[in-house]
Amino acid sequence: MARSWPVSVRWTLLLLVVILGWLVIPGVAVKRESFKYCSQSGFCKRNRAYADEVSAKGSSWSSPYELEPSTIQFKDSQLHGIIVKTTSENEKVRLPLTVSFLESGAARVVIDEEKRLKGEIDIRHNSQIRKERYNEAEKWAVVGGLDLSKSATLNANTEEGLTKVLYGPGSSFQAIIRHAPFDVEFQRDGETHVQFNKQGYLNMEHWRPKLEPEEDSPEDQSTWWEETFDGNTDSKPRGPESLGLDISFPGYSHVFGIPEHADSLSLRETRGGSGNHEDPYRLYNSDIFEYELNSPMTLYGAIPLMQAHRKDSTVGVFWLNAAETWIDIVKSSSSANPLSLGVGSKTTTHSHWISEAGQLDVFVFLGPSPRDISKIYGELTGYTQLPQQFAIAYHQCRWNYVTDEDVKEVDAQFDKYQIPYDVIWLDVDYTDDRKYFTWDPMTFPNPISMEEQLDDSERKLVVLIDPHIKNEDGYFVSEKMKKQGFAVKNKDGNIYDGHCWPGASNWIDCFNPEAAKWWSTLYRYDKFKGSSPNVFIWNDMNEPSVFDGPEVTMPKDNIHWGNWEHRDIHNVNGVTLLNSTFKALTSRKKGENRRPFILTRSYYAGAQRVAAMWTGDNQATWDHLAITLPMVLNNGISGFPFAGADVGGFFHNPGPELLTRWYQTGIWYPFFRAHAHIETRRREPYLISRPHRDYISQALRLRYQLLPAWYTAFHEASVNGTPIVRPQFYVHPTDEQGFALDDQLYFGSTGLLTKPVVSEGANSADIYISDDEKYYDYFDYTVYQGAKKRHIIPAPIEKVPLLMQGGHVLPRKDRPRRSSGLMKWDPYTLVITLDKNGEADGTLYVDDGESYEYQRGAYIHRSFHFQDSVLSSHDIGTKGSKTAEYLKTMSHVKVEKVIVVDPPKEWQDKVSVTIIEDGVTTGTTASMQYVSQPAGKASYAVVKKPDVAIGKTWRIEF
Amino acid sequence: MIFSQSSLFLAVSLAASTVVATKDGSSRPRGVAPEFAKFYKDPDIFACISHPALQVSSSAINDDYCDCPDGSDEPGTSACSHISHHSPLSVADRPGANDLDLTSALPGFYCKNKGHRPSYVPFQRVNDGICDYDFCCDGSDEWAHVGGTKCEDRCKELGKEWRKKEDKRQKSMTAALRKKKDLLVDAGRQEKEIEDDVQRLETEIEAHEIKVKNLETDLEEVQKQEQSKLVRGRKKGKVNVLAEVAKDRVEELRENLIEVRKERDETRLQVKELEAILSKFKEEYNPNSNDEGVKRAVSSWEEYAAKGHSDGNHARDRDLDEISKPDDEKSGVNWEHWENEEDSCEMDAVYHLAAYLPPSLVSFLEDQFIVFRGFLEKNGFLSKKSVESGSESQAVQDAREALKAEEKSLGETRKQLRNRREDLEINYGPASVFRALKGVCIVRDAGEYTYEQCFLDQTKQNSKKGGGSMRMGNFQRIGSTTIEEVNETGDIVTVERTTLEYVRGQTCWNGPARSTKVVLECGENNEILKVSEDERCVYSMIVTTPAVCAGGEEEDAAPRVKDEL
Repeated sequence: MARSWPVSVRWTLLLLVVILGWLVIPGVAVKRESFKYCSQSGFCKRNRAYADEVSAKGSSWSSPYELEPSTIQFKDSQLHGIIVKTTSENEKVRLPLTVSFLESGAARVVIDEEKRLKGEIDIRHNSQIRKERYNEAEKWAVVGGLDLSKSATLNANTEEGLTKVLYGPGSSFQAIIRHAPFDVEFQRDGETHVQFNKQGYLNMEHWRPKLEPEEDSPEDQSTWWEETFDGNTDSKPRGPESLGLDISFPGYSHVFGIPEHADSLSLRETRGGSGNHEDPYRLYNSDIFEYELNSPMTLYGAIPLMQAHRKDSTVGVFWLNAAETWIDIVKSSSSANPLSLGVGSKTTTHSHWISEAGQLDVFVFLGPSPRDISKIYGELTGYTQLPQQFAIAYHQCRWNYVTDEDVKEVDAQFDKYQIPYDVIWLDVDYTDDRKYFTWDPMTFPNPISMEEQLDDSERKLVVLIDPHIKNEDGYFVSEKMKKQGFAVKNKDGNIYDGHCWPGASNWIDCFNPEAAKWWSTLYRYDKFKGSSPNVFIWNDMNEPSVFDGPEVTMPKDNIHWGNWEHRDIHNVNGVTLLNSTFKALTSRKKGENRRPFILTRSYYAGAQRVAAMWTGDNQATWDHLAITLPMVLNNGISGFPFAGADVGGFFHNPGPELLTRWYQTGIWYPFFRAHAHIETRRREPYLISRPHRDYISQALRLRYQLLPAWYTAFHEASVNGTPIVRPQFYVHPTDEQGFALDDQLYFGSTGLLTKPVVSEGANSADIYISDDEKYYDYFDYTVYQGAKKRHIIPAPIEKVPLLMQGGHVLPRKDRPRRSSGLMKWDPYTLVITLDKNGEADGTLYVDDGESYEYQRGAYIHRSFHFQDSVLSSHDIGTKGSKTAEYLKTMSHVKVEKVIVVDPPKEWQDKVSVTIIEDGVTTGTTASMQYVSQPAGKASYAVVKKPDVAIGKTWRIEF
Repeated sequence: MIFSQSSLFLAVSLAASTVVATKDGSSRPRGVAPEFAKFYKDPDIFACISHPALQVSSSAINDDYCDCPDGSDEPGTSACSHISHHSPLSVADRPGANDLDLTSALPGFYCKNKGHRPSYVPFQRVNDGICDYDFCCDGSDEWAHVGGTKCEDRCKELGKEWRKKEDKRQKSMTAALRKKKDLLVDAGRQEKEIEDDVQRLETEIEAHEIKVKNLETDLEEVQKQEQSKLVRGRKKGKVNVLAEVAKDRVEELRENLIEVRKERDETRLQVKELEAILSKFKEEYNPNSNDEGVKRAVSSWEEYAAKGHSDGNHARDRDLDEISKPDDEKSGVNWEHWENEEDSCEMDAVYHLAAYLPPSLVSFLEDQFIVFRGFLEKNGFLSKKSVESGSESQAVQDAREALKAEEKSLGETRKQLRNRREDLEINYGPASVFRALKGVCIVRDAGEYTYEQCFLDQTKQNSKKGGGSMRMGNFQRIGSTTIEEVNETGDIVTVERTTLEYVRGQTCWNGPARSTKVVLECGENNEILKVSEDERCVYSMIVTTPAVCAGGEEEDAAPRVKDEL
C-alpha cells in the first residue's frame, strides 16, 4: 500500500506540532520574578518598616542613637566618638564614629561596630568569614582626595549638645553634630544643605547571637538568619547586619545620579503615588534580560553618588558601600519645616539609604556647582582615563562575526562604501568552545592575518574575555586557576561551580592579588596567542552573571579572597576584574606604552579610571532609543562619562527609520558602538538601502568631523571629571525650567546643543533654550534666540537637530577618512559663533592618540579666543620633556579654514585677513569671503587657508 | 574661494594663494586623468567642471583647499573628499552655492601607475599616510608624505603580477565560455532527448489506446459468449462469494496493518530521536540563558519525561506479528475451505464467521476495521470498492485481465509523457543551460561546517563537529537579484545577478525554515566562494559557474531555445 505514506507525513507533522507547542515564545520581557522587590529582600523590608514605624510615631519618637559626649575628640581635622545605640532590650551597642574633614572640602562620616571591629562575635555554620564589617570598598573605589583639611576647626560658638566644625574653603562649611539623638547638618555659608538622620531612620543592625525568639517578641525575625528566594537559600552566617540612614536635602526638589537605572535623569519618588515608583532604586549589579524602562530596578552597574540640585546650588553624597543597596526617595513640601526653607524653594528631598552589610561610610560634597561635584568626586574616585583616539570613534559590533574571513569582509565593505569605522568587535563565539584566551580553530584559524588587515587602515579589534572560566580538564586557564586557588569559593570553602556561557564554570577571584596578577599575565601576546597590539578587551558578564545563581548572580554567602562574603563586595566585584585587565593591557609586552581600552558591563565608582561602559542588552524600540539619553547623561554626571548604548538596539530588528535615528543619536554617546543579537538581521550601515544609508553615513561622518572636539572633551573629563555630554541643569544651573530635561544635551564645552529625534515619524524637534544667546543651526545657520522657551527645529529624517550656541570656537576636521587614525595629519577647520558681546572661546587638546607620551608633554593644548575682530590661539599646556619633539612632528598640521558665523556687518566688503604668527613681525594675508544669507539665517565669513599651524601661537586679524 | 563670473573676480587674483598647482612633468595637474585634462588647460582661470559659471584662479587648482562645489579644483588632494552624499555638509562648505547638488565631478585621484594600468584612488585615501597599492601602485597618492610616509613605486612588480593574473583570468574566462558551451550542448542534448521521448511516448500512447479499444471489444465479445453458457453454470454460493470478499478485505487490512506498524515504528524511532535531542538539550542548555522559550521548552520536556512513556506493548506486538502472517491452513483463515464450502446455511456462516478466525484477528477487526477503513476512504487512499465480482469464466477473467494490463500501461505511458512535458515547461534558465547542471553538487569548507549546493536540487550544511547534516533549502526557482559593486571609478553601481533560490529547508530552533539564496557569478568552475548567514537561518552563497558567463548561446545554441525564456 504505497498510498499510505501521507499518513506518516501527517503523523510526523502532528508530532512536530506537539513538540513545537512547548516552544512558543511568549512576549519577551524581563523575567521580573527572578529579581527581588524590596519586600523580598529582608534587610530592605526591615529598614523600610523601621522608617514607617518611626514616621508613624512622629514626634513621640526619638532615635536610639546617641553620641556619647565624653568620647568626642577632635584632632587633625578628624572627629572621633562613640555612638551608643540602645536596643529594645536596653542593651548598649557601641558604634565608633569618625568624621573626617578633607582638604578638598568634602566631609566623610564613618560609623562602624565596635564588637565586630574587635572580633568579639561568633559566626554561625562554622564559617571562616571575617568578623569585621566590610571596610575595603575604599580600596577599589577611592584613589585620592583623602588628605585631611589643614584648617578645619571646632566652632567655639556652640550650644550644649552640639559639636560644630568649621571647614571647607574659607571655613564657609560647617558640620553641626547633635549628640542626642545623633544627627548631622552640613551647612554652606550658614545655610543647611544636607542632613543626616533628621528623620531618625539611622539603623545599624548590630551583631547578636541567634536565640530562639520569644513568643511575644515584637520583632519579625523571619529574615534574620536565613533567606530563600527563587529556590536559593542564603545561609547568612552573620545574621542581620544591615545599615540605613536618611539623608535630606532641604530646599532641593531634584536629585540625580545613583546609576544604573533605566529611568529619567531627575529621580522619582519611590513610595508610590502618581508617576512615582513603588519600590526604592536598587543597586545590585545584575544581568537583567530585556530590562524594563522607567523602573527603579537594578541594572548592571552601580555608582552610589547622588547629587541634589536647586537654583544656584548643587550638593552631593557618596555612599561608599559595596553591598546590595536600596535608596528610597520622598519629596515633601518644606512648609512643614520652615527652618529648612531655602530661598525660593518649597520642596525638600529626603533619601533613605539601605545597605545589607559593611560599615556606614558617606562623603558629603557641598558644591556649590555641578562642576564642583564632578571635580571633588573625581579627586576621590579618579577621573576617566584619557582614551586612545580610536576608542571615541565608531565601533562596529555584532554577536557574532562568525569567521576571520567574515571580519575581513565587513572591513572591506566599509571601505567599499567609504563609511568610516575604527573598531570591529568579536563577541563570545570567536573562542574555542567558549574558553577565553583561545580561538575557535575552525572559524578563526588565522586571527593574526585578520588583525593585520585591520591594522592596514589603523583599525582595531576588540574581543570578549569574561570572568567565568569553563570548568574543563586540559583547559590551561581552568587548571591553573583551580590549582592555585584563584577561583571564588562557595560558603563551604570549596571552589564555586556555576553555569555561564561555557556551561559549567568557575570564577576568577581578582580580590586575590596573586590571582589578579596571574590574570594580568594571560593577556600577554605570547600567552594569548593570536592577539596583537591592535587587539583590545571587552569584559562582559562581570556582575558576575551566573545563569543558575540567585538573581542571575553569585550566592551572597560565597567567599572571596580575604574571607569576605560575596554579600560584602558584590558591587565592586566587576571593578576588580577591570583593574586586573587594565594592568594586563599595559604589560602585554615589555616597553609597550599604549593606553588600554576595556569595555565593561558591570561597574562601580572608580571603574571610570580603567574602562568604558555601555547600558547592556537593550532592544530595537523607540522607547529604548529614548531612554539611552537620560541613562548616558546620568552616567556622565556620576563620574563615569565614557558611556554609551548599543546603537540599533541589541534585541530585535530595527527598521531603517529607527536605525537612522539611532545613529543620529548614537553619535552623541561618548562610547559609540553598534551591536546586535545573534538572531537579528545583519545591519552594518552599508547594508541599509539608500537613502537611509546616506543619512547614517552622514551621521557617522559628523561624529568623525567633530572628533577633535570629542577628544578635547575627553581630555577635560580626564582632568576635571566633567561630563562629556551634559544635561541642561549642568550647563544652566540657574534655569529651573531646565532641571528635569534629559532628552537634549550639550556636547562638552563646545556650545553644541542637540536634541536627537527619538520618536517615529517626527519631522521636527523642539529644543529648549535656557539662555538668551543666539543659537545657530549647525548646517544652515538659521538663528534661534529666546531664553527659557522651546524652539521648533526642522528635523526630517536626514537631519540631526543640532544648534551652535553663540560664543564658541569649535575645532573640526572635515576630511572623511577610513578611520580616525588616518585623520591624524589632516588640517583643521575652526567654526566661530560670536556671543552677544562679539566674543568667542574654545579649546583644543591634541596628542598622539595612543601612548602615554602626553604625560611627558607630548601634546598640544590651545585656547582660542575671539575678541575685537581678532582670533588668537594661546598655549594653555605645560611644557614637558617631549613637547618640542611632538610640536615638530605636528608642525605641518594647520588650519585650512576659519568660518565665522554671524560676523559683524562691517565685514561685508572685507576680502582678506591679516595673519600674524608668534615671533614674526610682518603679517601675511589670506583671502576671506563674506556671504549674506536670506533673512532668518546668519551670514558668515570664510577665511581660506590661513595656514597657521595648530600647535603655534598666532592671531588672525579680521 | 568661489565667485560667480560676474562678481568679484578681481579679488581672486588679489587673494591668490601662495600654493601653486603641482605639475609632475606633464601638462596635467596632479591627479587628473587624460579624459579630464581638457578642463585644466587655461593657464589663468579654472571653471568648476560641473558648474562652469563658477570660476577660480588656476592657482587654486590643487592648493589643498576646496573651492569648487563639485571638488574639481582639487583633483590631486583630499581637500574636496567631503563632496559626497555621505557627508554632513553645511552652507559654508559651498559658499554662495546653497542650492547646488553636491556631487564630485571627478571619480578620484588618478594614478598613472606606469608599468601597470592607471587607476583611480578615492580622494579620501589621498595623503592619509597609507600606501594604497591596490589602486596606486606608483605610490603617487601619498605625495605629501604626511607623517613621513613614503610609498615606493611598486608598479613594475605589481603590474607583472597583475598581468599574470589577468592572463590567467582571461584564460579562465575563455575556458569558462568553452565550458558553458559544453553545458549548453549538454543541456540541448538532454532537452532534445526529452522532446524525442515526448514524441515516442505520444506514439506509444496512440498504440496503447488502440489496443485498449480492441481489448474492450474482446472483453465484450467474450462476455456475450459466456452469458449464453452461464445458464447451466454452477452459481457460486453466497458463502463462497462472501469468503472471497472477506479474503480480499483481510488481505487488504493485513497489508494496511503491516504498513501502519512500519510507520508506527518509524515514528517511535523519531520520537526517541527527539527525546534524545531534548534530553541532551536539557542537560546542555544554559539554565539561565534568559530565553523564555528555552526555559518553557525545558520544563515542558521535564513534565513530558516525568510521565514516563513505555515503548509499547510487547504482547500486543506479538499478536500483531501473528496477524501479519499470510493466511494458510496453519494460521489465520483457511480460505480454501470457505471458498469450497457448500452453500447450505449462508446466514449462519456469516454469523459464525468469527468462529473461523483467530481471536486476535477478531478483536483487531472489531476495533479497527470500521474506523480504519473509514479513515482510508475519507482520505482518499482507498476507493470504495464495489463488490460485484460474481462468478466469471476463465475466458472473461483473462479478457478482463488483459484489458486491465493494457489500461495500466496506457496510464503509465501517459504519466511519463506528462512528466516529460512538465519538465519541458520548467525554467532552466537561458537556453535551459541549468538543465545540464541539475543535481551537480559542489561543497565548501567554512568554519565548522561544510556547505553543499546541488544545482536545482538542494543546499546542505554538514557539521564537521559531528552534528549531522542540515538541509538549508530545496530548490524552488531561478531568480535574479541586484547587488552593489564598485566600478572602475569607485562608484557604487548595481549589477543584476542570476540566483538559485532554495526554500523550506529544515526549521531552525525557535525560528523559520532555512532558506538559501545562491547568487551566481561567471567562473570557470562550479565553486562555492562564500557562504553567509544574512539573518537567522537565511543563507546566501556566492557560487561561480560557467553557466552564467555571458555569451555562448548564439553560435552553439541549444537546438531549441524555449520561447518563453
